[in-house]
Amino acid sequence: MAFDTVVVIGGGPGGLRAARGIAELGSPVVLLEQDERLGGTPIRENYAGLTPHATPAEPLMNEMAEAVTSNPNADVRLGTRPTALSGEPGAFTLTVAGPDGESQVECGAIVVATGFQHFDPGRETQMYGYYEFDDVIALQDLEAMLKVHEVVRPSNGEPPKQICFVQCVGSRDRHIGNEYCSKVCCGVASKEAIEVRQMLPDCKVFIFYIDMRMYGYWENEIYWTAQEKHHVQYVKGVITEVLPKGDGLIVRGEDTTMGRPMELPMDMVVLSVGMEPSAGTRDAARVLGIRPNRFGFVDAVKAPLDPVATSKEGIYACGAALGPADLEDTVSSAANAAMHAVGVVRGQSRAGAGGRQPGGPGVPGPGAGRRPARGARGDRRGGRAQVAADAGDRR
Amino acid sequence: MTIPIEALRQKKSTPYEHQPDRYPDFQDELAELERAGEIVVQKIDGDYLEVPTKFGRPKRIQKGHLWHHKSCGQCGHIPGYSTSIFWVMRKLGYDYDDPKDQTSCTAWNYYASATSNAAAQAAVAVRNFAAAYETGYFPLIHCGTSYGHYKEVRNELLHHPELRADVRKVMDKLGKPLVLPEEIVHYSEWFYAMRHEIAAKQVVDMSNVAVTVHPACHYYKLVEGDAIYDPDVYGGQRTAVVTGLAQTLGAEVREYSTWFDCCGFGFRHILVQRDFTRSFATLRKIERMKEEADPDVVLTHDTGCVTTLDKSQFAAQAHDRNVGVAVLSEAQFAALAMGAHPYKVCQLHWHSANYKPMLEKMGIDHEKAWAEFQSDLKRLENGEKRYLEWDDMD
Amino acid sequence: MSSSPTLDPGDQEMRGAYFKLEAPAGFPDVPMDEKQRLFDEVKSDIRFDDYLYGCYECGICVAVCPSAKFYDFSPRRIAQAAAREDVGLIYQQMQEDIWECSQCFSCLRCPRGNNPGGIITIMREVALNNGLASAKEALGGYSRIIYKIMSTGTQVSPDMLQRDAFPDWGPETGDVSENLDLWRRALPSETLHTTSTGWEVSDRTLVELYLIWLTTGALDMISEIDAGLHSILQEIMEERLEDEEIEL
Repeated sequence: MAFDTVVVIGGGPGGLRAARGIAELGSPVVLLEQDERLGGTPIRENYAGLTPHATPAEPLMNEMAEAVTSNPNADVRLGTRPTALSGEPGAFTLTVAGPDGESQVECGAIVVATGFQHFDPGRETQMYGYYEFDDVIALQDLEAMLKVHEVVRPSNGEPPKQICFVQCVGSRDRHIGNEYCSKVCCGVASKEAIEVRQMLPDCKVFIFYIDMRMYGYWENEIYWTAQEKHHVQYVKGVITEVLPKGDGLIVRGEDTTMGRPMELPMDMVVLSVGMEPSAGTRDAARVLGIRPNRFGFVDAVKAPLDPVATSKEGIYACGAALGPADLEDTVSSAANAAMHAVGVVRGQSRAGAGGRQPGGPGVPGPGAGRRPARGARGDRRGGRAQVAADAGDRR
Repeated sequence: MTIPIEALRQKKSTPYEHQPDRYPDFQDELAELERAGEIVVQKIDGDYLEVPTKFGRPKRIQKGHLWHHKSCGQCGHIPGYSTSIFWVMRKLGYDYDDPKDQTSCTAWNYYASATSNAAAQAAVAVRNFAAAYETGYFPLIHCGTSYGHYKEVRNELLHHPELRADVRKVMDKLGKPLVLPEEIVHYSEWFYAMRHEIAAKQVVDMSNVAVTVHPACHYYKLVEGDAIYDPDVYGGQRTAVVTGLAQTLGAEVREYSTWFDCCGFGFRHILVQRDFTRSFATLRKIERMKEEADPDVVLTHDTGCVTTLDKSQFAAQAHDRNVGVAVLSEAQFAALAMGAHPYKVCQLHWHSANYKPMLEKMGIDHEKAWAEFQSDLKRLENGEKRYLEWDDMD
Repeated sequence: MSSSPTLDPGDQEMRGAYFKLEAPAGFPDVPMDEKQRLFDEVKSDIRFDDYLYGCYECGICVAVCPSAKFYDFSPRRIAQAAAREDVGLIYQQMQEDIWECSQCFSCLRCPRGNNPGGIITIMREVALNNGLASAKEALGGYSRIIYKIMSTGTQVSPDMLQRDAFPDWGPETGDVSENLDLWRRALPSETLHTTSTGWEVSDRTLVELYLIWLTTGALDMISEIDAGLHSILQEIMEERLEDEEIEL
C-alpha cells in the first residue's frame, strides 16, 4: 500500500499546491517541510503582498496550507528533511530526519518543491555596500517593512524622502556566474514601488534598470500603473556603486537615454536581488541523485514541453527549485508535477522515458499499479472508479 | 526600533558566504600547463601568510626572500616610496633582492601609447619573472599598474597557446625559461599581510591622524579575483589593502563619496594632456575628500595614484580650488609610524602637496629632520661619502 | 553643422546605422573597404574574443569611466560599435575617441564581461600599425618618453623632472632638478643612484629588452609615428646586439 504515496519535499506555495492536488485526486501524500511552519519563503521572509496584485501573502499562504492540512490524504511533517533515497521509480524508500529522529517513507513518486533563496548582495563583485551601509536593503527586507506598515530608514528610523531600486542584482552577471534573468524582480520592485508611493506620498521612488521585464499583463497592471498613477521614475541605466555622502547615500550610473553619467542622492537603496537555488534545493538534488543544471537548480531534462521531469524517473520538480519562477509559474508547475506523480503511483503513466513498470515485489496495489502504461479507455475508467471507491472507504 | 530593522541588522551582522568552486581558479590552469611541460611555475618557498581574496580563494604571501620588481614612476619621481618599502622590510628582518636585471613592466607606455603588442608585453613580463626565478627570490611587484598588467598577461598566456609559442621563441633566444609565479603579489598585499608585525614596531602615535584611502584601479579592477577582500574591513565589500594597514596603525580612516573613482592618471594624459588629469583628480578626488572628510593625509598604494593626487594640487591651488592635503603611499605612512626619517627614508621633499601639517600631527619635528638631512647631504657634497647607506638612515 | 549627404541607397556609407559626417572631424575619409580592413585587423587580434561579448546597454561602463566625465567619450559606444561591426563608426572612433580613454579598466565592471578599455588598446595598436594621422597627432610630444622606455628599460627618469617640462607640478620639480645628482646619491638603495634612468639597469638586461622590441615587432610600430626616432632606436639596438653577438 505504501508505494501509492507521493512525497512532496517543501511546504511553500509550490509544495502546498502539489500536495493539495495529489490529495484531492485521492492519493496519499506526505509533505516534508524543514521549517516549523508551512508557507515557504513568503512566510519565512515576511512578504507583504504577492506580485502582481499585492495579495497579502500570509493569509494566502495560510489558505493554501489549510487546504492541505485539512485533507485526510495529506500527512504533513514539519521540521523534517530528506536524508537518503533507495529503491526505484514507483517503489522508492526515502529516509527522512525529523524531530523524532530518522524514519523511512515508502513512496512511488517524489515532487521536489524546495524553492529558492534570495541572492546575497554582499557577495564579491557588488559595489552596493549591503554589509556596510544600514540604508542599503534588499527586496525582501522592504517586504518585511511593508508588512508591518513601517517603511523607514534603518539608519535613523525616519521615513525616507527619496529611494531607489537597483535591478538585476545578482542576475544577468557573468562575474557572479548567475547569467540568467530572475524573472520576477522587475515586477516585484514595481509592486513594492507602488506600495511605497501609497504609503509615503512624499517619497520619490526611482527604479534603475537594464531592461524592464514585464510579461503579459504585468505591463499594463504593474508597469503602466506604477508610472502613470504612482509616478514611479524609471531610468534606463543600472546603478554601479553606492557610497555614503553626508548622512545619506549617493548612487552612480549612466542615464543611457540621455547619454550622460548621473549621480543622485538617496535616503535608501533597495537592491532587486535575484533568485538562486536554496540550500534545500541543493540538498534535495544531492540526496535524491537528480541532476542539477549549471546554476544549481534542478535540471528540467525534458523542457520545454515537460518542464517538471527531472533526470530520474518518478521524481518531479516544480516552482523555483527549477529556476526563477513567479507565483503563477510555481502553482502551475506544481499542479503539473502532481499530475505526473499521481500517474506514476497509479501505473497509469510511464514513470519516465524508460517505460519501467512501477511497483516492487509483493506490493498489493489497488489494482492500478499492475496495469500497463498504455491503458485502454476501460482501464482509465476502472482507475477512476477505484479512486472513488477508495475515497469512499476512507471517509 | 521596528522588528524588521532589528532582523535586518541581525542578518547583516553575519558575513556572506562564498560559494566554493564557483569561479575558475587560474592556479588549476597554471598547474595543468606545468604538467604539460609548457611553462615553469615559480613556487612560494619558505614562510608565508594566507590572506582572503575577492572570491574566497586564499592567497599566499611569502614573507621574506623577495625579488623587488621596482616601479619606474616611483624610483624616478617619488623614490621615497621605494626606499620606504625596502626600509620597512629591513626593519622587520626579512632579506630581499634589489635587482639590476629588471626592466620596467613597460605598461605605462603601453597604456599611454600602445606602441607595443601582446607578444612584446608578455615577453617583457616573462623576462622579468625568469630573472627572479633564476635568483630563487620570489617576485614582489611595487607598482599597481605592473601588478594589473602582469595579471592580464598571465590570463593571456594561459588562454592563448599561440602567444605562449611566440614568447617561448623570444625566451629561447634569451636562454630563459617561460616562467610565471604561482601568485602575482603586490607590495601592498605584503604590507597588509604584515600589518600586525608592522604595528608591533610602531613608535609614532597615529590616533589623531585622519586618513582617506584611494584604491588603485589596476589593483582591484583588472583581473579582480586576485585582490584582497577581508570581511573585517568594509564588511568585505571593498578591497582591504591600505585601509587594513591604516586601521591597524590606529589612524582614523574616513569616508568620502568617490571612493571607487579612478584618480585620473590616464597614462598618456598625465604626460601630454594634463588638464584632464588635473581636473579629474581635483574635482572628483581631492576636493571631495576635503569637503567630506577633511583628512590629514591621502593614502594610496600605486605610483600613478600618488603622482596624480600629489602633483595635481599645485596648479589647482592657483585656481583657488579646495585642495592642499598631503598624499603618501601607505608604505611611507607605515615607515613613518615605525620611526623612519621623513627625509632620509620617506624622501618627502620630492612631494608637491604640503606634508608638513601632517608631520606635525604625527608629532614629528620636520625642521629638525630637514636639518639632519641637510647635514647628511653636506657629507656627500664634501666628498666624505659617495652615497648614503642604510646604516645612515637611523 | 552637418553636411547633408546624398541619400543614395546604393551608397555604401549610407547603409550604416548612423548618419556620419563625410569628413569626420578633419581627418581624411577612406573607402568603405579600407574601414572594413581596419576593423578586420582589430577583430583578428587574439584578445578580441576575450574582450567582447554581448551588450545590454546597462550603462555601468559609462557610469564608472573617468574619461566619460570630461570628454564626449563612451565605452558603451565602443563596445556596441564593435559588436555591431559598424566599421564606419569604428573608423571614426579610431580617430579621436580611443585616445581619450584613461586605460583605468574601471569598465571591467561590465556584467557581461566586456572590456571596452581592452578593445580600445587593440584599436590603438591597429591605428599605429596603419599610420593613421590621428595616431601620429595623439602621440606627438610623446616621443621622448618612447625613447626613454625603449632604450633604457625604465619609463621615467629623475632627469625628466624639469621645471619647463612639468611647470604645473609645483616648484619642488625645480628643486629636484637643481639638486638632482646630490639627492640621488642620498638614496640608501644601491640601485637608485641613477639620474638618467629610474634605477640601474644592467647592460645584459638592456640587450635582452632590445631583443624583445626587435623580434616582436614592437619597435617597428613607431616607424609610422616618428621615423627619425625609429631609425635612431633601431641603430642603437642593433648595434648593442651585434656587440653581444646575438642573432636576431
